[in-house]
Amino acid sequence: MGDNATNLLQGTLDLLILRALATGELHGLGVSRRIEQITKGTFLVKPGSLFPALHRMEEAGWLSSFWGESENNRRAKYYKLTKAGKAQMEVETEQWQKVAGAMASALKAV
Amino acid sequence: MKRQRRGILRILRNLFRRREAELELDAEVRSYVRMVEEERIAKGMSGAEAHRTAMREFGGVEQVKQAVRDRRAGAGMEQLWMDMRYGARQLWRSPGFTATVLFTLALSIGANTAIFSIVNALMLTRLPYAHPERLGTIYTRITGPISEDERHHINGEQWELLRDRVPALISAISNGHATGVDMRAGSHVEYLHYSRVSAHYLDVLEIQPLMGRNFTKTEDLPNGAKVAILSYGLWQSTFESDPNIVGKPILLKGEPYTVVGVLPQGATTPIEADLYTTIQASQNGEGGGTNFTDITRLRDGATWQEADAEINRAWLARHSRYEPQGAAVSYYSVPLQKGETEAVRPQATGLMLAAGFILLIASANLAGLTLVRMMRRGPEMATRLALGASRWQVRRQIWVEHLMLALLGGAAGVLVGYGALRELIVLLPEHYLPTASVPLDGRVLLFTLAVSVVTSVLFGMLPALALRDFDLRSALASRGMHGGDRIGVRQALIAGEVALTVVLLAGSGLLIRSLVHLETLPPGFDATGVMTAKAPLDDVRYRDSAEFRKLMDEGTAAMRQIPGVKYAAVGLSVPYERALNDGITLSEGPNAGTQVMSGMVYVTPEYFQALQMRLLAGRYFTDSDGPDTEPVVIVNQTFARKFFHGENPIGRHIEKNMRIVGVVADVPIEPGLEVLAPLMSEESIYEPAAQQNAQGLTLVHTWFQPDWIVRTRGPVDGLTGQMQKALASVDPNLPFSGFYSMKDLQAKALATQRVEVALLSAMAGLALLLSAVGIFALVANVVAQKTREIGIRMALGSTLKRAMVHVGAPGVRASAAGLVLGLLLCSVALRAMRSVLYGVGVYDGPTIMATVAVLALVTVAAGAAPALRIAKIDPAATLREE
Repeated sequence: MGDNATNLLQGTLDLLILRALATGELHGLGVSRRIEQITKGTFLVKPGSLFPALHRMEEAGWLSSFWGESENNRRAKYYKLTKAGKAQMEVETEQWQKVAGAMASALKAV
Repeated sequence: MKRQRRGILRILRNLFRRREAELELDAEVRSYVRMVEEERIAKGMSGAEAHRTAMREFGGVEQVKQAVRDRRAGAGMEQLWMDMRYGARQLWRSPGFTATVLFTLALSIGANTAIFSIVNALMLTRLPYAHPERLGTIYTRITGPISEDERHHINGEQWELLRDRVPALISAISNGHATGVDMRAGSHVEYLHYSRVSAHYLDVLEIQPLMGRNFTKTEDLPNGAKVAILSYGLWQSTFESDPNIVGKPILLKGEPYTVVGVLPQGATTPIEADLYTTIQASQNGEGGGTNFTDITRLRDGATWQEADAEINRAWLARHSRYEPQGAAVSYYSVPLQKGETEAVRPQATGLMLAAGFILLIASANLAGLTLVRMMRRGPEMATRLALGASRWQVRRQIWVEHLMLALLGGAAGVLVGYGALRELIVLLPEHYLPTASVPLDGRVLLFTLAVSVVTSVLFGMLPALALRDFDLRSALASRGMHGGDRIGVRQALIAGEVALTVVLLAGSGLLIRSLVHLETLPPGFDATGVMTAKAPLDDVRYRDSAEFRKLMDEGTAAMRQIPGVKYAAVGLSVPYERALNDGITLSEGPNAGTQVMSGMVYVTPEYFQALQMRLLAGRYFTDSDGPDTEPVVIVNQTFARKFFHGENPIGRHIEKNMRIVGVVADVPIEPGLEVLAPLMSEESIYEPAAQQNAQGLTLVHTWFQPDWIVRTRGPVDGLTGQMQKALASVDPNLPFSGFYSMKDLQAKALATQRVEVALLSAMAGLALLLSAVGIFALVANVVAQKTREIGIRMALGSTLKRAMVHVGAPGVRASAAGLVLGLLLCSVALRAMRSVLYGVGVYDGPTIMATVAVLALVTVAAGAAPALRIAKIDPAATLREE
C-alpha cells in the first residue's frame, strides 16, 4: 500500500499528520517517520504529499511551525499542533472511528 | 469572521512576502533531503549514493515546491497574475490587433456609456427629493372615439377642486416652465428665469428654505402680497450671500416684491428657475384655461387608490368639463418621474437600442479578429499543450487576455463616453432633459463594467469554441491552424453586423429626410433679411393699453429710423414659434355659433410687410385700425378653409363684431392645437395690436414675450445694437432678451429633430466604420492566407483584377447577404419610427437606395484596400517559399 500513499484520501493524510504530531513537535522527516511507525509501516508518506499537506494545514491554523535544531544539530522546520489542530484531530478521529466501525461490520456481514 | 480575516491576511502575506516564503520553502526542503542523506550515511552508504537515493525518494524538488505553492492561499491569484503578465506580453507583441480591439471597444463602449448615462439620469436615478415614491402627477385617460393617455395641464377650477377636495394629497401647481423676466435690485438689473408656483409647491417637494420660509396660503390668493423666493445660486451671485436678504424688496416686472426665503444649496425643482413667485391662481384669466402643471405628494397613511378616487370624484363637480363626445374620461396618478420624463422616453429607448446594436456589431468584429488571432497562435498553443499545460490552462490564458482587453477597452470607453456625453449635453436644447445634471455615477460605471465583461464573453466565445476541436498534431505540423473553414463563420459575423448597420443607416436616413422635409416646408413668407428680438412686456406699466399702444408706435417708428431698415413691426409671435391658442366664436358661415380653437397673433400694421406674408384676399391692417374704429381681423388660409369651407370669408364676422378684412398665406409654426409635426401650419387669426384690451394684454404677456421684427434692405452693421438703442430711446428699462434671425427660430423649433438626426447619424456612422473594419480585416486575412495560391494563379496567367475579385469576393458576398438581411430587418424594425417621421414613409425609396449605395461604396472600399496588396505579390517569390 506504500506506493499508493500519494493517493491517500486527503482526510486520511490529514488525520495521520495530526496524530503523528499529537505526542509533540516534529520536523517534516520526523512526521514522515512517525506515520510509518504508528501505521506499522503501512503508510509511507512521500514529500510530494507531505509538504503540501503540512503547508495547507498550517494555513488552516491546525499547525504552527518554527525553526529549531534537529537531533544532528541541523536547522529544521518543526511543526506543532495548535489548539484548533487538537480539536480537529478529535473530530476527525471520531469520524474515522465511526467509518472504520461501519466498514468492519460491513465486511463481517459478508 | 476571524477565520476569514486570517485567510485574507495569509493571502496578502503570501503575495507580498513571496520571496521570503520561497527561501523558507527552499531551506525546509533542503534540510529534509540532508536529514535523509545523513540517515543513509549513518547506515553505511557513500555520500554520493546517499544523495542520489535521497533525491530519488524525494521525487523532484521543483514538483514538490510547485505542489506546495499551488496549495498556498492565494495561489489562484498568483496564477492569474502570471496569466496576466503573459497576456500583456502577447498583446504587446501584436500592437495592430491590440490597437484595433481597443479602438473598437473604446468607441462602442463609449457610445453605450454616454447613452446609458442619459437613460440613467432620466429613468433610473430617483428624483432628488425626499421620498420620491410618494410624488406624483395626474394623467388623463380618455377612451372612446378619441383615445389619449397622458399628462394634461389643468385649469383654475380643477386646481381649486384638487387643492380643497383631495385630502389624500398635498397638491401644488406651477406655470409649467421658467420664463424670462427683468429683475431690479437697487441699481442692479438682471434678466433671469422665474417661475410662478402655488403655496405648497416647495412643501410637496419637501424643500425647506435655507433662510426665511415657503409661501403662505394668503400670499397665494389672488391679489395677495407680492413675495419671492430666491434660488441658492441667485442669492449667492447677485445678492452676494446677503445674510439679511429676507424682507428686502426687489423689482420684478416693474413691481416691488418682498424676498421671503432662499432655497438651500443644491435644491432643485422640476422647473429649475432662478426665482419663484406665487401663482395666485383663480378660475379667471390664466386659470380660465388649462395652463397649470400639477405635482402631488401622497399624505402619510393615504394610498394612491384613495387619491385617484378623490380626484375623479372632485373633478366630476366641475362646471366646465371638456369631454369629447362619447368618450369616457378618468384621471389617475402616476409617479412624478414618469410624468416628467415621458416625452423623451421613446427617444432614449431608441438610442439605447441603437447603442446596443453598436455593441453587437463591435462584438462580431472582435470575434472575427480574435478567431484569426487564435488560428495564428495555433503553434504556440500546441507547444504549450505538448509541454503539459492542460486545455483548461490554455483556455484560461485566452479568457484572461480577452478580459484584459475588455477592461482596458472599457476604461477607454468610459473616457470616450465622458467626452461624448459632455458634447452631447451641449448639443441638446436647453431644458430638453428634465433633469438638472447627467452624472457619470457608480451605476453608469457598473453598467460599463458589465458591458465590457459581456462584450469579452461575446467575442471570446467563438475562439474558445474553436479551441475545443483543436487538433494538436496537425497544429504542430502546420504553421498555423487551418483557416479555410473559418471563413464561413467570419462571413456570417460580417453579414450580421452589416444587417444591423443597414437598420441604423436606414433609420438615420429617414430622420434626415424628415428634417429636410420640415426645413423646406413652403414658408409662406420671406425669411431673408428679417431680424427679430424679444422683450418681456409683463411690466406693470404695459397693463395699460394706451401705454402699450404708445410703446408700439414709438418703438417701431424708432426702429424704422435705423439706416437700411425697410419695415419695423411687433407681433405676439412669428413663424416657427408657438402661437397663443384662443377660443373663438364663429358668428357667420356654415358653423355659426360654435366655438373653435385657433392661434391668435396681435400685430402692428407693418407685420405682414415685414415678413412679406402673401395676402390672398382683402387688405392688410393700416394705422387707421385703432381702438376706436371697427374691430377687424385677418385670418389665414387654413382658418378660411376649415371654418368657411372655401367660401369667401371677407366681410364675415367672428366674435360677434370682428369683421374679417383679409386672408393671408399659411406659415409654419410650432403647433399648439393638434400636434402632428414639430412645424406645421395651424388655423390662425391676426388682430391689430391697437385693438387689444388691457385685460387681454396682461394675460398674454404673462406667457408670451412679443417679437420686434425689422426687415432690412441688405446686411446692416450692428443691427442688433441699433435695435436695442432704438427701443431704449422709448423705454430705457426694456432690454431685449435675445435676437433671432428666422433661421435661428427655425433651428430652435427643430432642435429635437436635429439632435435625433445627429445622434442616430453618429451611431450609424460608427456602425458603418465598424463594419468597414470587419470587411477590411476579413479580406486582408484572405489575402494573407492565400498569398501562395494567388502566386500560383498569377503565375498561371490570372490577371491582377481577377485575383483581386477572387480574394475580395468573400467580403463582398458577406456584405451583400448582410444588406439583404438588413433590409428585411428594416421592414419590421423601422415601423417603430413612424411617430417621429414627417413627410416621409417608413418604406422610403430614396432612403433605401441611399443606404444600399453607401453600403456598396464602403464595402468596395474596405474590400479593395487590402486586396490591392496582392499587386505586390511576386509569384516567383511565393512559389519559392516553403
